[in-house]
Amino acid sequence: MAEPPIARGFKSRRQEQTPKDRLPPGQYVTTDFPVLSAGPTPQIKLEDWTFAIQMDGSILGKWRWKEFEALPQTTKKTDIHCVTKWSKLDTSWQGVTFDDLLRALGLAKPPAPYVMAHCDGAYTTNIPTKDLIDGKSMIATRYDDLPIPPAHGGPARLLVPHLYFWKSGKWVRRLRFMQEEERGFWESLGYHNYGDPWKEQRYDGD
Amino acid sequence: MTDNGSDLVLDGNAAAGLLQEIFVLDVTSAQTRCEACGFTGTVGSLHLYAAPMGAVLRCTHCNGIIMRAVHTSHGHWLEMTGARYLRF
Amino acid sequence: MIKTGSSTVRRLVWQVAEVRALVQETYRVRSILLNVNGWPGHLPGQHVDLRLTADGGYQAQRSYSIASPPEDKFVTLTVEHVDNGEVSPYLVGEVRPGDQFELRGPIGGYFVWTAAMGGPLVLIAGGSGITPLMAMLRHRDRQNSPAVARLMYSSRSLEDIIYREELDTMVHRDANLCVIHALTRKQPEGWIGYRRRIDKALLAKTCFPPEERPNIFVCGPTPLVESVSSLLVELGHDPHAIRTERFGPSGGYIP
Repeated sequence: MAEPPIARGFKSRRQEQTPKDRLPPGQYVTTDFPVLSAGPTPQIKLEDWTFAIQMDGSILGKWRWKEFEALPQTTKKTDIHCVTKWSKLDTSWQGVTFDDLLRALGLAKPPAPYVMAHCDGAYTTNIPTKDLIDGKSMIATRYDDLPIPPAHGGPARLLVPHLYFWKSGKWVRRLRFMQEEERGFWESLGYHNYGDPWKEQRYDGD
Repeated sequence: MTDNGSDLVLDGNAAAGLLQEIFVLDVTSAQTRCEACGFTGTVGSLHLYAAPMGAVLRCTHCNGIIMRAVHTSHGHWLEMTGARYLRF
Repeated sequence: MIKTGSSTVRRLVWQVAEVRALVQETYRVRSILLNVNGWPGHLPGQHVDLRLTADGGYQAQRSYSIASPPEDKFVTLTVEHVDNGEVSPYLVGEVRPGDQFELRGPIGGYFVWTAAMGGPLVLIAGGSGITPLMAMLRHRDRQNSPAVARLMYSSRSLEDIIYREELDTMVHRDANLCVIHALTRKQPEGWIGYRRRIDKALLAKTCFPPEERPNIFVCGPTPLVESVSSLLVELGHDPHAIRTERFGPSGGYIP
């Protein structure tokens, strides 16, 4: 196949301001916060909201909004990386860490090696449990000290910032422990099963 | 930070390029029937989400997913279990 | 069901497009006339994907509606400068005749009007959403189509109206074409036209009644498209007769 013609004078603006050591390969820094959703933004009433942790057929724990807000809160400052190549640095989130959820359930360690996050709009994403523990993840309810807006996943979203941001499922409602790994929404449609931005694992086969 | 979720939805017509990489025929002109609710419409008129990652085409009546497509560096993926049929 | 002719049975391939001419339409909108060898022809309303490759290999891809009718030799794209955009400032400010990039198309058989489909025809545009509708009007003009047509075109100000003179000329020549402008932010002295966003009252007054079963095409920013479509349905139009093209934040682009 012939080489594509070079568009004379065309430059990527995005490549001009990259602090290389903070950016995974192929990413560019953005100061805005793009929104990407697989479906319409759900309008969730806090009085109807529940969050559950499940294994096999049993619910290990379930919280209504006020109960969830009463759990230990942690603030986390982190960079986030979207598979569509934008990265946002120094974002600030607050919520309940996965470790504190396990503690609330009286579990010393996770009961299974994998988790499927189930979100409103039938969105799912799978993560190994080892990538959720030790402060690596939380169920976030605040961004920059304010409640997360609906378009960005409010009232609560999963936050797993060391993986591509599609793993940080918006509108999360349930974490289901799995003994065997199943693939979620994007992972079953050509995206990478694990999604490490530092290894540029965007697609299945990378 | 944008709060406006309604800016995110496009028309299925905007997925025509991606879908034509998979189907030689122009799928956006085809009629389809939603498996979940039975509503029929042209693929080009469906609600298109997630455009930067691929195409998630939803029924304009019940919002059920009719079709999903992704173009990766390793090939194309297509999932159409939400479509009862496609009629060209 | 529309038959879309040759464009239905062909693989989409990237072709080289060369800039032949440029037309400054408004202070921030420019039309680019492209020569594409072996262009298979297109239908009014279809779009193309454009791909720019920078020195070093970086690529950016965007979709643009074809503004020219199928009767024209060159493929015309009309591009609006988007602030902080990556591609549009280059296309509107930098591109010169002789420049080359890649293009594939024509794409999309859904948002299409041809003279064979007849009228009445209702076209509703917001800002740069006029582009695919202009291809339809230019085609209608070249075919001397008798289809009765009405364009409702919402712009921020007189200076922002794209193709203003050409639309005026078409209207003066053709008793079956009516163009209604709505200027939403700034109006010139003595402006007697509409000065608000396209609303239910304006649609009720200017659109053909549902019993006449018009072909309706709405194109522009998503909020306008959604508002106009639901109002038209409230006015009794069949949702299946309304075809929409939402432009979205980056012009409806899928990489």
